Amino acid sequence: MEAITQSGTAVAEEDLVASEYLTFTLGSEEYAIDILKVQEIRGYEQPTLIANSPSFIKGVINLRGIIVPIVDLRIKFNLGKIEYTPFTVVIILNIAGRVIGAVVDSVSDVMSLTRSQIRPAPDFSGNFDTKYIIGLASQDSRMMIVTDIERLMSSADMELIDSATE
Amino acid sequence: MAIDMSQFYQVFFDESAEHLAAMEGLLLDLDIENPDSEQLNAIFRAAHSIKGSAGTFGFTDLAETTHILENLLDRIRKQELGLRADMVDAFLECGDRLREMLEAHQGRGEAVDQAAVESICARLRDLSTDRQPELPDQAKLAPESLTPSSLDKRVFDIQFVPTEVSAKGDGVTSLLDELRSLGQLEILSQPAGDIHNVGYWQVRLISDLGQEAFADQIDFIAENGAWRVVEGKLSAGDSDPAFGFFDDSPGVPDENQSYGFFAPLDASPDVGGAVAKEVEDEGFGFFEPLPATTAPQVTPEGGNGEAEDGYGFFAPLAPPEKAPEVLEEGDGFGFFVPVPAPAASAAPLVIMPSPVAALDSSSAAAVPEKSAVESRTRAAKTAAPAAAAGDSSIRVSIEKVDQLINLVGELVITQAMLLQTATQMQESAPERLVNGLAQLERNTRDLQESVMSIRMMPISFVFSRFPRVVRDLSGKLGKQVELKTSGETTELDKSLIERIADPLTHLIRNSLDHGIELPDKRIAAGKNPVGTITLKAYHQGGNIVIEVGDDGGGLPRNKILAKARERGFQVSDQMTDSEVFNLIFEAGFSTADQVTDVSGRGVGMDVVRRNIQSMGGRVEIESMLGVGTRMTVRLPLTLAILDGMSIAVGDQTYILPLSYVIESFQPRTGDIKTLSNQARVIQVRGEYLPVVVLHELFNIKPKASDFTQGIMVVIDADGIKAALFVDALVGQHQVVIKSLEANYRRVQGISGATIMGDGHVALILDVSAIAGMAKTSMQKAG
Repeated sequence: MEAITQSGTAVAEEDLVASEYLTFTLGSEEYAIDILKVQEIRGYEQPTLIANSPSFIKGVINLRGIIVPIVDLRIKFNLGKIEYTPFTVVIILNIAGRVIGAVVDSVSDVMSLTRSQIRPAPDFSGNFDTKYIIGLASQDSRMMIVTDIERLMSSADMELIDSATE
Repeated sequence: MAIDMSQFYQVFFDESAEHLAAMEGLLLDLDIENPDSEQLNAIFRAAHSIKGSAGTFGFTDLAETTHILENLLDRIRKQELGLRADMVDAFLECGDRLREMLEAHQGRGEAVDQAAVESICARLRDLSTDRQPELPDQAKLAPESLTPSSLDKRVFDIQFVPTEVSAKGDGVTSLLDELRSLGQLEILSQPAGDIHNVGYWQVRLISDLGQEAFADQIDFIAENGAWRVVEGKLSAGDSDPAFGFFDDSPGVPDENQSYGFFAPLDASPDVGGAVAKEVEDEGFGFFEPLPATTAPQVTPEGGNGEAEDGYGFFAPLAPPEKAPEVLEEGDGFGFFVPVPAPAASAAPLVIMPSPVAALDSSSAAAVPEKSAVESRTRAAKTAAPAAAAGDSSIRVSIEKVDQLINLVGELVITQAMLLQTATQMQESAPERLVNGLAQLERNTRDLQESVMSIRMMPISFVFSRFPRVVRDLSGKLGKQVELKTSGETTELDKSLIERIADPLTHLIRNSLDHGIELPDKRIAAGKNPVGTITLKAYHQGGNIVIEVGDDGGGLPRNKILAKARERGFQVSDQMTDSEVFNLIFEAGFSTADQVTDVSGRGVGMDVVRRNIQSMGGRVEIESMLGVGTRMTVRLPLTLAILDGMSIAVGDQTYILPLSYVIESFQPRTGDIKTLSNQARVIQVRGEYLPVVVLHELFNIKPKASDFTQGIMVVIDADGIKAALFVDALVGQHQVVIKSLEANYRRVQGISGATIMGDGHVALILDVSAIAGMAKTSMQKAG
C-alpha cells in the first residue's frame, strides 16, 4: 500500500518537473523541441549547394569554421510557403554530437512544460511520422507538437547521417 | 594528501615510450668495439628515467626490469665491463619487453609474456655478473683495496624515509625482502603502526656484498635524498673504520682552509636532534657537512628531522666512495655536499669530530665541484645530438593544436573578408587602412604557416625504427643488408607520420624478404654480398615522396602473371610492366614460394595500398629483373591543407586539388566527339580522354551551355585521365580541408569542404571518384 503511494507521489513529482521547450512555427503549425538541443538561432543565409541531395537539404554553411548542413523542415513536411526572407530563421541544433541547422518560418518563444501537460498524440499517418512526436501540449488556445528532434534528425528519413539506424 | 597518480599516467607512458625509442636508437648506433661514453651515458639515463618514473607511478614490473638493465648499463659505462654484441642484443630485447609491459599497462597490446621477461632479466643478470670476478683492481673502490679483509661481513646501517607512493604500495616490503636476500637484516626502527605508513626506517644489514648491491633500490624507494647508508665492520678491532677511506689523502686538511664556507661542526651523538636543527638554522647558501653522529637511540628524531626539513639542502647521503655517482644523478650538485657518515656503531668518533668534518668537507667539496662541472659539460654535449628533440619541447595535446589551427583559419577568413571590403571601397578607403590591411595579410599568412608547422614532424620519427627492423630481419633471414636513409629531416604532418609507419615497415620487410637475395646468390649474380635498402624522403610539388628501394632480384613479371592467372585474375601478356607490378597489391596475392613468418601470405600489400590511399596518397612500383625494385609512396604534405584550383560551375564554386590537374584549355567547336552518341571524348595530345561535364554530374544550371564557352581541365587520378568541363577557372588557393562527414555524410564526388575568403563554403571535388564516374559512363557507352 505504502509502496504504491510512494511511487504515486514520485510520478507526481516527476510530472511537476518542468522542462523548457523552444517553440517554432512551420506554416500554421506550432512545434516545440527540447531547448537543450538548441545551440543557437541565426538568420538564413544562402548555403552552398550539395549536388544530388534531397530537396529539403539546402546545402552547407560555414558556422565559425564548422561545416553545417541545413535542412528546410518546411520542404520536408510540405508546410507553409517556401520563401527565404530576412526573417527566415535557422535553428542550429546539437544532436548526437553533430551540428545541424533547421530552417523554420519563425521562432515563437521558450516555454516550460511539465510532463503532465504533454498529452499523447493520436496515431495518424502522414509526412510527419508519429514516432517522432512525444505528444501534444496546449497553452491557451495554441497547440504545440512536442517533437523528439534528436530522433527525427538522426533518422534515415532525414538522410543526414550515413549510418542512420531507423 | 593523496594525489591521483592516474592523471599523469599518459605522460608517463608517452615519456617512457620516447625514452625506449631513444635508447633503441642509441643502442643501434653504438660502436661495440669502441663505445662512446656519451652514448652509453645517454642510454643509461634513458633507462634510469624509465625506472624512476615507473617506480613513482607504481609500475613495479617495469621498474624492476629496468633496474636490472640499468645495473648492467651502469657497469658498462663505468668501464667495469666491456661492451659485447650479445649485450646489445639483450638490451634491445629488454627494450622490447619493456615496451610490451608499457602497452599492457595502457590496456592495449597482448598480455606480457612473463617467461620472456624473466628470461631476459636472467640474461641481463648473467651478463652483469659473469665477469665480475675479473674486475681490474683499480676499478675497485678504495676501501676494498685498502682493506684486504674486505671479505669480512660488512655491516650497513641503512636509514631512509620512503616516498608516499612506495610506502603505500609494496615498495618498502619488496625493498626489505631484497635486503633480506642479500644477508642478515635487522629492523632497528620502523614507523609506528602499519608498515605502509610513511615514516623513518632504520635497518641494519649484515652482508658480504658492497652497498652498491642495494643502494639503488633504496634511492628509488626513498624520498629525494632522504636515505643514507653507513657502513661499519663487524670486526670489532677496527675502531674507526669509516676514516679508513681517507688514509690516502694526507694533504686534505690544508686544502680545507680554502673552503671557507665549510665550518667543521662539532657534534656529539647525544645531540643528534640538535645537530639537525642547528644545521638547518645556519644552512643558508652553503651547508656544513653534517657528520651524522646518529647514535641509534637518538636517530628517530634527528634523522627524521633531517630528512623532512632537509629536502634540497642535503644531497643524497652516502659514504665518500659513492659520492661521484650519486652526484651525477643527484638533485643538487655543486651546492650540496654529500655527507659521509661515520658508522653509528663506532662509539669513539666523538673524540675527534672536527677532523672528520674537515676531511669530509674537503674531499667532498673537491669531488662535487669537479663532477658537477663534468656532468654539466657532458649533459650539454649529449643533449645536442641525442636529445635535441626532447630538450626544448613541450607536450601539447593535439586537440589544442587543432583548435589553434581552426582559429587561425577563421582569422585568415576574416582577414580576407576585410580585404575584400576594403577593395570594394576602392578610392574611398583611406590609405592607412589599406596599408594596415596589407600588413595584416602578411602577418596572418606568417601566423598560419607557423601554426601549421606545429603539426609537422620530421620523417626521421618513422625512419628511426627501421634500422632495428632491418637488423632483426636480416639476422633472421641470413641476409646481409645495409640500410641507407636520406632526407630524414623532411617534414610531414603528425597524423601522417603515425599512419605511414606501418605501410613503410611492410614495404621494407617485403624488400628484405623478397627483394634482397641470399649472400651466395648475390655473389653468383656478381653483386656485392651485402644488399642495400635505400629509404629516401623528399618533397616534390605539393607532395612528400618516400622511396623504398632495394638492389635485389626485382619483380619477376612472368611469375606474377602466372600467379595471377592461377588466381583467376583478368590478365594478358600485353599488360604494361606497371600494370603487372600493380597486381601484387591485389588482395591475397603472393608470389613467394613458401610462406615465412616475415611475409608471403599475400596479406599486406593490399593493406599497404589501402592505407596509403586512405591518406590521400598513392604508391608506385618500378622494378627491373636482377637489378632491384623501387616502391614510391606519394603523400600529400598534410591532411589539413590542400593546394587547390577553384573552378566555377553555375553559381557554385568548387575546389579541384591542384595535384591532380595536368592542364586546362578552351575547347574549339568540333573537338568533342561522341561515342555511340552517348559518351563524349576529346582528343588531347594524341589521347582520347572521356569528357566529364560537371554541371550534368551535379545537376547545376551552367553559365556555359556550349563547350566552346567553358574550360576543359585535364585531370589525372591514379593513372585514369579525364577532361572535366567547367564554366571557368577562378583562381588558385591554399585551402583548409574541413570534413563534410563530421555533421553530414559522404557525398559522391566530393571529398570535403573548405571555407573561402568570403566566408562561403566551397566543396572539394573527389577527383578519383569523378574520374571513376567517367570510366563507368564510358564502359556503359562502349
